[in-house]
Amino acid sequence: MIDCREAVRRMWLYLEAALDGPHNDELEQHLDTCTRCCGELEFSRRLRELVVDRAATPAMPPEVRQRIELLLTAAEPEPEAGR
Amino acid sequence: MGEDAGPNDVIPGGPDGNNSVPAIVFKPQSATPPGRREPTPEVDVLDAELAPPPPSDATPGSFAAVVREHGDRLYGFCVRLAGNSADAEDLLQETLLRGMRAWPEVRDRDRAKPWLFSIATNLWRDLCRARGREVATTPLDALEADDDDFSLYQTIAIEDPFPYSDELHMDFLRLFGDEDVQAIFGSIPAAFREPLILTVIHGFSCKEAAVILDVPLGTLLSRLHRGRKKLERGLWKYAVANGLVSAIDEEDAR
Repeated sequence: MIDCREAVRRMWLYLEAALDGPHNDELEQHLDTCTRCCGELEFSRRLRELVVDRAATPAMPPEVRQRIELLLTAAEPEPEAGR
Repeated sequence: MGEDAGPNDVIPGGPDGNNSVPAIVFKPQSATPPGRREPTPEVDVLDAELAPPPPSDATPGSFAAVVREHGDRLYGFCVRLAGNSADAEDLLQETLLRGMRAWPEVRDRDRAKPWLFSIATNLWRDLCRARGREVATTPLDALEADDDDFSLYQTIAIEDPFPYSDELHMDFLRLFGDEDVQAIFGSIPAAFREPLILTVIHGFSCKEAAVILDVPLGTLLSRLHRGRKKLERGLWKYAVANGLVSAIDEEDAR
């Protein structure tokens, strides 16, 4: 059985689905019996969402998109003529 | 409903049935994505292969199509890597030029997105080196291990910044606007920030992120963990420093 400290260490990776089977199972067993860690897991999930919402990346400005399109069109090989 | 049902005709529980549960209709699986010409089942394979290619601006698998699909994400990644839009634009353009040249050699075109991201990452490192900036590959494992066991959850519970709240932790997170989070995020050293950007914001798996950043998976996992701890610590420090909460123990905020 893992303790809370170890459970917390694994939590973020758990949210990334990056734990291997045994580590994942141990954490889930811990969560089954520990309401404190369930609270922290939920908090971690919300914190992750905060990053996704607030640090989401800006959209490409129209002038950049235009430059990129020019670049692509200039470099794109002519399509083979229809047979 | 007596006759033999072909694959596409009789729908059990369809319009004339009085079944309110949506019926599961078994249709032959087709690998052709919607919107592309679909060969009729009677056409044999050879004929289908002789069909003319689709028009060039929609050519699946062309470099232009890949860029049109992933360009916005890639631009966003460049902004987060570079930290400002002027450098991000140059980085994006350079990435696309390099990508374009290498594209004919790329075999696994389903992996185009991580491939583009790794080009951008490498170019950015080159650029930093060329500018004499410190590149985030210096020994990090000995550095600032003190954040590793910081628990924001615990700290909020102990400091209790909103004595009348029954949603203490969520109220804490509600303090932060876009600019706040981005400022805090920007203060995390690149080596720890990049794994966060790739996994949390861009949805890459840890394995993919490790490949993009060219580090072993174990290193990636450890940096991801430490990046998150730095983020937690950063949020708390920022909240205290900007008077969003009043900490009992100001030492924590230093």
